[in-house]
Amino acid sequence: MNTKNTDVVAEYLHEVDVRLAGLPVLQRRELLADLAAHIASERAERNIQTEGELIEVLERLGSPDVVAAAAHEEFGPAVAPPSAKKRIPWYWPAAAIATVVVVLFLCAGAFFWSSSSGPEPSIEQVTPVPAPSMAPSR
Amino acid sequence: MAELATSLRRGTLEFCVLAMVEHEDRYGTEIVRRFGEEPNLAASEGTIYPLLSRLRRVGWLDSKWAESPSGPPRRYYALTGDGRSALAHFRTEWVSFRQTVDRLVGTGEAA
Repeated sequence: MNTKNTDVVAEYLHEVDVRLAGLPVLQRRELLADLAAHIASERAERNIQTEGELIEVLERLGSPDVVAAAAHEEFGPAVAPPSAKKRIPWYWPAAAIATVVVVLFLCAGAFFWSSSSGPEPSIEQVTPVPAPSMAPSR
Repeated sequence: MAELATSLRRGTLEFCVLAMVEHEDRYGTEIVRRFGEEPNLAASEGTIYPLLSRLRRVGWLDSKWAESPSGPPRRYYALTGDGRSALAHFRTEWVSFRQTVDRLVGTGEAA
């Protein structure tokens, strides 16, 4: 019976651990140790004997999804922003300027092309020229 | 309504935790059980432990493991000097914040 109860706890902790992927290892270990200590305290202080009672303790703790989501919320943002903040000032202005330059270049090109091709006679005169030159080469 | 409760909890729950260990050190399960009695505060008990971990890492709480008279070792949490200042600051901010919201939303005593 005791072995079976331990299995439920081990399975629960494993399910939480799986969902903590991506968090720093020490914070994962700390949370799992805290949860294990909580379960052990509840078992001793409430004199829990049956698996049913133990499952109630685990249900009060919350599903592995809920507990892991809380951990990601508490630990996640504190780690991510510093590296993100360092990169943005260096890469984004350069990318933005490059984009603006390319767009301006394309706009200017399109403008000159349309204004210069406007007065020209017509496209019909242009197309017949390459057509005959292509034909003999084949 | 669950989302509203979550939003309201965010930013206030941690000060409820600090206040709980203001006068005496308490162990994790004790803190968690206390919140379990307040349905407005904690969605589920297990979510308190990541919060305790963060409060310890920012230096507002201290923790130490101690033997228990009955059962496994307990992790006791204590308020640090920084935690005490943070709690005092929250108290003044909270009172004026609450008064403003009460006035605007119409939930104050005068309304």
